[in-house]
Amino acid sequence: MTFIHQAWEALQDRLFFLPPFPEQLDPLALFALLLVAGLLAGEALFRALGLSRIVGYVFAGALAGPGMLGWLDQETLSMAKPVADAALGLLLLETGRNLDLGWLRANRSLLGSATAESGLAFVSIFVFAYLAVGLSPGWSAATAAITMASAPAVVLLTAEENRAQGQVTQRTLLLTAINCALSFVVFAVVLGVVHAEQSGDWLNALAHPLWVVCGGIGIGMLCARLALILAGRQAKGSVAQVFILVAVALLAIGVARMLAVPVFLCLFMMGAALNLADRDKVLAYTGLPQGHWILAIVLFVVTGAMLPLDELGWVTGLQALGLILVRGLAKFAGVMATGRHDLPADKRRLVGIGIQPLSATAIFMAAELAAIYPEVSGQALLLPLLAAALMEFAGPQMCKYALHKAGETEPLPAGRQR
Amino acid sequence: MSDLSKLSFTSSRPLTLGVELELQLVSLRDYDLTRAATDLLAGLRYDDRFGEIKLEITESMIEVNSRPRQDVTAIAVDLDGLRDVLVTHCQRNNIAICGGGTHPFHHWPERRICPGERFAFLNERYGYLSKQFTVFGQHIHIGVPSGDDAIWLTHALNRYVPHFVALSASSPFLDATDTAFESARLNAVSAFPLSGQAPDVTDWNAFVDHMSLLQSCGVAESIKDLYWDVRPKPEYGTVEVRVCDTPLSVDRAIELAAFAQCLACYLLRERPPVMPSMQALVARYNKFQACRFGFKAELADPIQRCTEPLGECLLDLLDTLARDADDLGCRRQLESLRALAASQFGDAGWLRRTATAAGNFHDLTRAAVARFAEPSCYRPHA
Repeated sequence: MTFIHQAWEALQDRLFFLPPFPEQLDPLALFALLLVAGLLAGEALFRALGLSRIVGYVFAGALAGPGMLGWLDQETLSMAKPVADAALGLLLLETGRNLDLGWLRANRSLLGSATAESGLAFVSIFVFAYLAVGLSPGWSAATAAITMASAPAVVLLTAEENRAQGQVTQRTLLLTAINCALSFVVFAVVLGVVHAEQSGDWLNALAHPLWVVCGGIGIGMLCARLALILAGRQAKGSVAQVFILVAVALLAIGVARMLAVPVFLCLFMMGAALNLADRDKVLAYTGLPQGHWILAIVLFVVTGAMLPLDELGWVTGLQALGLILVRGLAKFAGVMATGRHDLPADKRRLVGIGIQPLSATAIFMAAELAAIYPEVSGQALLLPLLAAALMEFAGPQMCKYALHKAGETEPLPAGRQR
Repeated sequence: MSDLSKLSFTSSRPLTLGVELELQLVSLRDYDLTRAATDLLAGLRYDDRFGEIKLEITESMIEVNSRPRQDVTAIAVDLDGLRDVLVTHCQRNNIAICGGGTHPFHHWPERRICPGERFAFLNERYGYLSKQFTVFGQHIHIGVPSGDDAIWLTHALNRYVPHFVALSASSPFLDATDTAFESARLNAVSAFPLSGQAPDVTDWNAFVDHMSLLQSCGVAESIKDLYWDVRPKPEYGTVEVRVCDTPLSVDRAIELAAFAQCLACYLLRERPPVMPSMQALVARYNKFQACRFGFKAELADPIQRCTEPLGECLLDLLDTLARDADDLGCRRQLESLRALAASQFGDAGWLRRTATAAGNFHDLTRAAVARFAEPSCYRPHA
């Protein structure tokens, strides 16, 4: 590398048009490399082992990340963060659109299932982090808030990748949307608790959660209204409406970044507001363009690279496994204990498995907290991050298994691979 | 496989009615057809009081069967009860149900075959036709006392196939395209090799011989394999009219059942001369005319060697049936059909007008869902 550097500088003396030696990858080149690496790994694992492509994307990121080969360092990752933010934002927009209050009104037992699995997950994880791992009450609550939700990006993309349709798929998507909403609310409260615990600063303990919640709701609702107004002038389901939806979502992401409000919260709220406010079905038939898979690949590669795999030891590994087990059982029990008259037990079992994924959102929530208290959060957030790291590989497979076992994935024609 | 040479006809009380409706299961997100039938049945808590709810060939269809009833009012109670059960249960599953002979914009390769030996056999035998068969019809059963009566009535009703098609037509759209047909559904049925008209046999014994021949040649294993426009159904003791599109409302389905009952009553009483071989010469053409033009069809009359406008024939026929309608207690239903024939604006017209107003097929299906959810005006005390 030094030789090339020197040769370049030598040439610069003679060739006036040569720019200074590029010390960093251009963001577009980085985007392309992440995309190709993720895509190849995803396809390879899918074809060779039948694994979900998402596992391959995460694997590529983890391999190239600071924890393993180190090809992607922290600086490079921060360059790719806006793209990952956009990807997560768009996927959470879709998740928010799955928060169907009309369905909850028509079927009250769903709300019972969602409350049971989210509540049980929060309490079990909190107790485990506090008693078994020994975290403080504040960081235990933070761990529970971060990991109680399912992974919306994984669930959404797994359903989409396998063209799954049916009650297990729909309920997995709905429960994911609800547990995400609850997780975001609890996360905002936990921000206050952590402020109070770390600094005793009561002003920030009250103001920060309010800023996050009100900011997220405000940006989400305003952008949803803007999208509906603009899209109302276009033909339903047209390409113009797709562009408007994506453009306004990117605007929401930008504003959220400017105001230090979590991107995932704003976009989730925007999706939910779109669903609630769209009485005339202006944007209801307009989905994300297929291109969102490109962003999703980058999201999972970046997420994989952010995983603290170098911190994985016997003790931390066992603690993370313990958290996964406790969380998994709580979610499963919550679904199985409710909705008996609504869905047969075999289908409820599969919903309980389908909502197990834990990944990108949790990691991005942890990053929000880590940015506030970098000096203390590293160790405190290791538990949820390692749990997310392990579930990055297992979660997509579990979700795929549930949808497939329910008979809801698209059967492949004989002799063909999708 | 039963031996069709020993096929016997179960006698039933004359003019007993039964109705089957094939219905669409759509997603509430975009109103496209969705995979929902097995989930819907698995979670359904229903005691069959209004009749059966069954799977059909693909996962986006569901079939409801009324119980055998003596009068149209009882059929109205059954069909409205089934509608109510399904609408409520679909809401719990975040899907919706609607009528109409075709879904306006679904992509047939995306359909999934329902689990079951019979459906697997049909899929194996007919290939892509089985998924393209995701079309939705109404079948009307009329009870007859004997096999011979069943064969006679089958031939007699064949002449009125265009009338049933025009009154029920509700499938102008297919593959997000206006087909210019009033009923495009029957084109999907015509693709099957055993569709068309019943053979020219004179009585039950001749029919059994014919079935035995088909069985010995490997053409058909049971009557279920025959997709005739009108066919005898020996196990129920009925003649089954199979050419109607599923209407957009339960009320229209009830009216069509009333029409079939009055027509059968009239035919069995008057016993007009029936010439199956002559009718067969123009049967396909007349059916095409009714599918394509609805009430404006021009029917070929091979006996008089002329054409006659279907709309006018239908009005005359409904006037002729008025006495039977009074006797059978379904005058309201036939008056409603008379108004329909006079206005020549049926479900197909409604679908076209709504699609133009909405500007897209998603909202059209949404409107069809709302229309199907309306309670019937023919329920007692409605």
